[in-house]
This record gives sequence, structure tokens and C-alpha cells, in this order.
Amino acid sequence: MKEVKRKEYYLFSPFLRIFHWIMVAMIVILFVTGLLIAKPVQVMTPEPTYTLTSMDLVRDIHFVAAFIFCASFILRIYGFIINKGDRLFPRVWEGHFYEETVDVALHYMLIKPHHASFLRNPLARCSYAALYALVLVEVLTGFAMYYMNDPNSTGAFLFGWVNTVLGGEMMTHLIHHYVAWGIILFAIGHVYMVIRAEFMEGESEVSSMFAGSKILAHTPKDANELE
Amino acid sequence: MEKRESLWDRCLKQGISRRNFIKSCVTLTSLMGLSTECLTKVVEAAEAKPLPVVIWIHGHECTGCDESFIRSASPLAGDLVLSQIDLEYDHLLSAACGEPFERHLDETIQKYKGQYILAVEGAVSTKDNGIFCMSGGHTFTHLLQKAAKDAAAIIAYGTCAVAGGIQAASPNPTGSSGISMFTGGAPVINVPGCPPIPEVMTGVVMHVALFGTPPPLDGNGRPKQFYGNRIHDTCYRRPFFDAGLFAENYDDAGAKAGWCLYKLGCRGPETYNSCGNLRWYQGMSYPIQSGAACIGCSNPHFWDEGSFSDRLPKYDKIGDADKIGIGLGVLTTAGVAAHAVASVVQKSKRDIEEVENGGAGE
Repeated sequence: MKEVKRKEYYLFSPFLRIFHWIMVAMIVILFVTGLLIAKPVQVMTPEPTYTLTSMDLVRDIHFVAAFIFCASFILRIYGFIINKGDRLFPRVWEGHFYEETVDVALHYMLIKPHHASFLRNPLARCSYAALYALVLVEVLTGFAMYYMNDPNSTGAFLFGWVNTVLGGEMMTHLIHHYVAWGIILFAIGHVYMVIRAEFMEGESEVSSMFAGSKILAHTPKDANELE
Repeated sequence: MEKRESLWDRCLKQGISRRNFIKSCVTLTSLMGLSTECLTKVVEAAEAKPLPVVIWIHGHECTGCDESFIRSASPLAGDLVLSQIDLEYDHLLSAACGEPFERHLDETIQKYKGQYILAVEGAVSTKDNGIFCMSGGHTFTHLLQKAAKDAAAIIAYGTCAVAGGIQAASPNPTGSSGISMFTGGAPVINVPGCPPIPEVMTGVVMHVALFGTPPPLDGNGRPKQFYGNRIHDTCYRRPFFDAGLFAENYDDAGAKAGWCLYKLGCRGPETYNSCGNLRWYQGMSYPIQSGAACIGCSNPHFWDEGSFSDRLPKYDKIGDADKIGIGLGVLTTAGVAAHAVASVVQKSKRDIEEVENGGAGE
């Protein structure tokens, strides 16, 4: 038996955590239905009238999931306002951010044995910013396609320009599809990184997304950001 | 200047009855996408407005748009050209040629300054000072700029005039582009399509002729009444799409049964045109109805947007985005697994070293 002194850092508000898990569920649903929309699967029955596939239903699920995902950003923004721990953007305006990022990157390249401990490490922050950028592309291209079934609608007014900027609606479709794969690749890396941090570095990365707090034996470098 | 005839004057001259004149106005009204309430406006305009002078020039193109145009049934292309507009100059339909013909163009521009409608088919070739497309001893660019300067309105017919068309397809050896960069201040009405639907071509020019203003345009400068819907959303095969019934090949049972051509790369979901409702040649048919997937010919860069018969473009032997995505996913997973193993090995090695050095490692 070994006695370890640990300190609890309250980091993620319930709003961020609920948002996170809604995002996980919606990305899975959106990705699967999205693939089915691009390449519909046909289950043929002897009589086509009773076909078991419904493109209409798959599309509706995709759209509903998209709206839930967008609505869940209300939670994310509210958490961002009320809780300092939810503010995860990369602090590019602080000089030490860059050397810390390089430090962490070198560690993940297996060159440096250790990196300074962070509550939210700068490399992870960069990857979240990148994820939000990808999600933004998906939202813009998605609504551009969705609302343009009526070019005179308010939605088309708000998002229709995306098709023009990208040089045609076919490009919107393709970019929407390609970026979706980018998000999945991010997810693979993300899941691995948090599990690695949890089990190899004692960073409670996984548990904090359920409980909200990190209970750490060491003092993270950016602990002062919570004050 | 002599008094110019209106449509009604022309009807009187030709002995066409008032009844038939009103009838053609009704046809025109519905064709231009206007409500029946606008009929009186159309009749008034047809009675009073002098026939519009039209200069119709052709640039870098195949003249397929004219092939489409001359098949317009309501209004009949012949009627339109001979009695509903005052077509003064047309590269393709004119019998005249040579120096007198070119002089007539200059005279027309002078005489009807700021009043004539300029219809343009074909792209502008910009590379090497535009020598790839010459007309009357000058480059087409020169002709276009000269004619556009004093035009009341400009109609860009066909995808070539709107966005460059086939000659602008990659690698675009002639530097072709749409006409909009060379037209100056006059309003441009984009009527894309390869070619556009005949009735759309005549409908647009009649709208400008009767009302003197461009029809309501969308964000891409296209008339809303003709380009306000996706072909997919107006397609009679849409129920098959919604039910998930697709033709997988051009020769399978699905294709024979007339199911949705989505999986064969149909561009209906990305294309704005009237093919689905107006259809072609007096509503006879349109590509999807005849069993061919839409190629999206009214989209600006449709030549370069992947194979016409694939939903997702294929990249040589590697396959489409989904195959590449799965490949990258597997690679990423293998990568993180390898990274995990390497991390564990490295950590345990260092832990041993640390113990050996009595905790003074690193």
C-alpha cells in the first residue's frame, strides 16, 4: 500500500460534458447516415414496393442529428462563459505556448521521455481548434446543401454563398464528405491520446470527461488558468 | 429616328387576329413564370413597347445553344426571330457576311445606343491576347467589349458564356472564361446550360424585351423562375430515391424499371434547372426521363467535377474517398497501436534505467 497525496482540479462544467457526449453520439450517427446517403444500400425484397430501405428515413435521421448537434453548441457556449475550465482554445497569444507545444510534440514523437504536465495540454488544444474548424466546415457545407432546396429561403440566404465560394454545389458535396472522414481520423487519434494520457501519465483525461474533475498527484503547469 | 414597331403593330401588319395576339400573350406570361394577374401588363407592353433590338454574338463555343434555341416551340423560334424581336446581327442565323455585315453591326450599335439587348453565346478566350477566338478580323474579346459597352442588358446564353464551358475545362489551354469580366456595367443575365432549354432561352429574351428589365435573378445571376429548383427536387423519379430504389447499372432491372439514377452519378441533386418541370422539346422528355443520369450541365465547372457516372470521384487505382478514408482509418489505427507499443516499451526501459541509476535518471 502506497499513500499518494492528490489534488482535485475542477475543470469541465456539466454543460461541456453533456455537449461532448452529444457530439460523440451525433458524429457517429451523422457519419454512418452520411455514408449511407452517399452510397445507399439496397436490401431487395421480391417485391420492390416492400423494400426495406428508405433513403428518406436515412436522410431525416441525418438532418435531425445535425440539428441536435448544432443546438448542443448552446451548452458548449454557456459552459464557456460560466466556467474557466471549459475554455480550451489554444493560447497562441502567450509566448510560452509555442515552446510548450513543441515540448509536448517531441514527447509524442518518443524523443523526449517526459513533458510538463498540463490540465489541458497545448497540443490537445490545437487539435480541438482543428476539430472545431472541421465541424464548422461541415455545418456550413451541410446547411448550404440542406437549405438550397429553396433558394429563396432565409437559410439559403445565410448559407447559399458557400456553394458559390466553393465553385459549385458538387464541390460542396465532396468537401462535406471528405471532411467527415477527417473528423473520424481525428476521433481515432483523440481516443488513443486520452487513453494513453489516462493510463501512462496519470492525467485522468478519460475520467474527467465523466466526472468533470482531474485528481492529480502532480501539479500541472497551467493550474493557475483556473483561478 | 423612325417609329419602331411593337409586337401588336407587327401582328396587325401580318393580319393576326386580336384573339391570337392575346393568346400568345397568355402563353408568354406563363412561360416567363409570371402569375396570370400580370397578363394585362404583358399585353400593354406588347402593344406599346417597340420590338427590342437584339445583337446576338458567338464566341468560343460549339453553337449548340443555337441548335437548342431554334427548337423552341412556344414561342416558336421562327416567330421570335422574325416578328417578336428585332434581330439585327447574329453570327449564326444571318445570311449576310463579310465587310457589309460587320459595318451593319457598327451601325446598329451607333443607332440603338443603350437600347439594344446583347445576347452572347460562347466563352471568352483570354490567353495569348485572345487569338484563339477571332471574329471579323478582331478578337472576340474586342467584339464583346465593343458591343457590351452600349447594351441595355446582356444575356449570357449557355455555360460557356456564363463560366467558360468545355473549353475552360482543365487544363484550359485557351484561358477561357465566362463573359462577365468583359461586359462593363450593363446587367448580365446568366442562362447556363449545355445547352439551355429552348423555352428558357426564348422566355428570358422575351422578358427583357417586354419589360425592359432583367427578370428576378438569384445570387448567381440566373433567372429565378427557371433556375429556382434543383432537378432532383423536381424530378419525377424522386419517389424512387426516397424509397431507396436505385439503378446500379445502365442495363439492370432497376434501370429498366425507371428507378433513381443517383448511384450512377446523377447530378440532379446539385443542379439548378427547369429540366424536371419544363422538360425539353414541348415537355417531351429530359435526360433522366430517357434513362441517362444528369451531368449537371448548368453548373459552372461540371466538366471538372469527376466522372459523370460516379457519385464520388475515383482517384486512379486507389478508389474513391470512402476507400481512401477506410485505408487512412486503418493506417491511423495501426499507427496509434504502434505508438502505444513503442510508448510502453520506452517507458518500461526508462523505468528500469531509473531503478538502476538509483532514481537519478534522465
